[in-house]
Amino acid sequence: MDTLRRIAQQRAVTRRDFLRSVAIAGTASQLLGFAPLRAAALPQRQKTVVVTFGGGARDEETFAPEGQENIPHLMNELIPQATFFTQVVNRGILGHYVATASLATGVYEGFDNFADVAPKNPTVFEYFRKGLNRPANDAWVIAPSNGFNRIGQSDGSLIAPGLGAQVILPKHLLASALGKSYIASPSMNFLLQDNYEDLLFTPPSVEGNLQTAKLTEMLHLSVDDFARHAQTLSSADELSVYVMHQVMKQFAPSLLWITLHDMDIAHTGAYSLYLEGIRRTDRLCGEIWQMIESDPEYKGRTTMLVLPDFGRDSDFSASGNGFQHHRTGDPLSRTTWMMAMGPHIRQNVTVDRPLDSLDLVPTLGAMMNFATPFAKGKPITEVLG
Amino acid sequence: MMPSALRVESFTAYPTQARALAVEHLGVLKRMPLILAAALLRQVIQYDWSFPAEREQLLQQLGLLQQLDTAAFDSLMSSFAAIPLASDLSKFDWVNHPQPFSEKLTAYLWEQHLSDNYHSAGQMYQQYLEKALPQARPITPRWTIVVIGKGSQPTQYPLFRHLTPYGMLFTQLDPKGALEILSDAVRMRAGRYPLEYGHWYIDGGEPYSAVVDDARLTTMSYARLAPATKREFSLLKEFTNRGSANGSVGPEAVGSYIVGLSPEDLSLKGNAPDAALRYFEVNLITQGAGCQIFSTTFVQWASRECLHRAQPLTLLARFSTRQCNAPMEQLLARDPLQQTQDTEGSLIDADIGAYYTWINQSRLSGADESRFLVWFEDRNLACAISPTLPKGRTSTGAINMRQVLEYMA
Repeated sequence: MDTLRRIAQQRAVTRRDFLRSVAIAGTASQLLGFAPLRAAALPQRQKTVVVTFGGGARDEETFAPEGQENIPHLMNELIPQATFFTQVVNRGILGHYVATASLATGVYEGFDNFADVAPKNPTVFEYFRKGLNRPANDAWVIAPSNGFNRIGQSDGSLIAPGLGAQVILPKHLLASALGKSYIASPSMNFLLQDNYEDLLFTPPSVEGNLQTAKLTEMLHLSVDDFARHAQTLSSADELSVYVMHQVMKQFAPSLLWITLHDMDIAHTGAYSLYLEGIRRTDRLCGEIWQMIESDPEYKGRTTMLVLPDFGRDSDFSASGNGFQHHRTGDPLSRTTWMMAMGPHIRQNVTVDRPLDSLDLVPTLGAMMNFATPFAKGKPITEVLG
Repeated sequence: MMPSALRVESFTAYPTQARALAVEHLGVLKRMPLILAAALLRQVIQYDWSFPAEREQLLQQLGLLQQLDTAAFDSLMSSFAAIPLASDLSKFDWVNHPQPFSEKLTAYLWEQHLSDNYHSAGQMYQQYLEKALPQARPITPRWTIVVIGKGSQPTQYPLFRHLTPYGMLFTQLDPKGALEILSDAVRMRAGRYPLEYGHWYIDGGEPYSAVVDDARLTTMSYARLAPATKREFSLLKEFTNRGSANGSVGPEAVGSYIVGLSPEDLSLKGNAPDAALRYFEVNLITQGAGCQIFSTTFVQWASRECLHRAQPLTLLARFSTRQCNAPMEQLLARDPLQQTQDTEGSLIDADIGAYYTWINQSRLSGADESRFLVWFEDRNLACAISPTLPKGRTSTGAINMRQVLEYMA
């Protein structure tokens, strides 16, 4: 038992060291103080893309020395261009929907993770649209499952309704499309996997056909084309990124939020599938950045923020079962990271001070110049100057 | 209902021995904060089907609490008592349904941001128990042997990298007859140190024929339990369909239904002396996420629960391949034994499973004297952890399994 405690403590202590090591070149610039920002020259029509690296990734399989082989795109392509925050602490409920909703509202929401409810507090999408008087198509959310269908807009108790984001549930979209398409194939069921957190939980059904037709029309996709392309994909997250690309091409929204989720297959206890999910998410993050950099509407004016919603249980927490779940609330399951990249973000810099997950919304508000009155947390100065 | 209102009649629905135990300790249960009383009753209600090690621990714990003077008792209870509880929780029938209560309590603690308080109270309580009731060392050092990779080819994945820092890696092990040598060693220990539920064999496929009929071993296999998991899913489908006709069925209702399933419900047959094992199997396949669909998860979780609950002297855990992944709907519906196997993924799953098994063995008394061996079946690679061997070293010399066991002894 003492041995285990010692190992666990050692892991916690070295976390900071190994996370710093991932961007070792950035240490020098940190020691020398921050270089002056080009804040005065911030590009007009600034855009922001938020990617949640979910659902639930541990240091051990990502930025720890033994985990870095799983994230070559983050390590080799993105980190050198990013400011990397080594400690982002989530103090809320560690369920994926409620935690992602908390990220989006800047307040630790307290609702039942499996309930079909909207966040109580205003979302960043509502703040954005209200504060900058933006139309509905300027804020979009690509969400991983039906259970996330209410994430774009709060329950209306604190802000007038009707200011939320457009929410796309790609799997729902595909399921509806498959219902109509002659292309439907059992192999595509892989793309429809909805939930891993509770194997027997069926998320609430979402009102559908009209929305599907409207969405495919809005995205200029025929149902058959959509279904045909989906056949070439191998996971739900790939489908999400494909849909995201369509949204970028059609609407070029200023605020775009995508929640990736494949790695949550860890709940089945299959470590190999969890690693596979992480590697895919890593690749997709690289692809998203390439999409941004190759799209004239986004290139040079987009900030991308990548962060996990939370971690997973430590191997040494007696009440958990290691990577499989995120139930113990131990410090390692609450502590993750964030990377920020974009034209006004310092490159190859590591920041060790702890952030709170709630800092995201006020930071987005400060970056894009809208108020976030109900959000807790503080703007992250390192990305603002 | 608050614990102070507990009466002898409160336990009428409990199984015979559990009822007697609760009544015998009624006085101390009445003085506990509700949270702890419910947690203890969760163990008490299972008493009739508990393993000897669990029974002993529970008896010792209740006995200790009963002996404490008022000041010491109140001091020990104070951190639990300080956690505020919603009135709907105290109105729940936590006496007869302590497991569903625990699930509701968990949700409440998360919602109210009280999880840390609960964990901290639990840790303090646990530390007190560890100090007041030091666990006796086992009569002989524990041995856990994990065999991984049946049906898998070697890959680039670096096996045993989590374990090597704590033990010795053998890279030129002669695999000939090794499984037989290991099973002989396990049976020999079972003969030398006879102990009820003290020697286990858990297999992810069909059990090894040389071991399966040895009555001195408690044997479980995924192949044997697979029909019970199918039965479980079929019952769940019926339940949710019935419920859906009257509205939606939430995860809590499903959870409560699962907890109520018995060995008979799942067609798990056995004899009376084996009741503890049958209930253990039911717990595994109803409460262990993923161990119904993936044999690798089954072996890892069964080993964890076996070590935690039965605290055996010997455990032989043998991983097999698991079925390929598929959408959950298909995984829940199809026969896992008749599917294409993911041989490469299974090896990775088993490797981390072996590491977790070592961690779980290390939580038991006498850990500093315990022995742990993991071997890639039919291959040259093994890692042995023993106080007799150096840590973090690699042996590249030719060796056979009998010699490895001798070095570890």
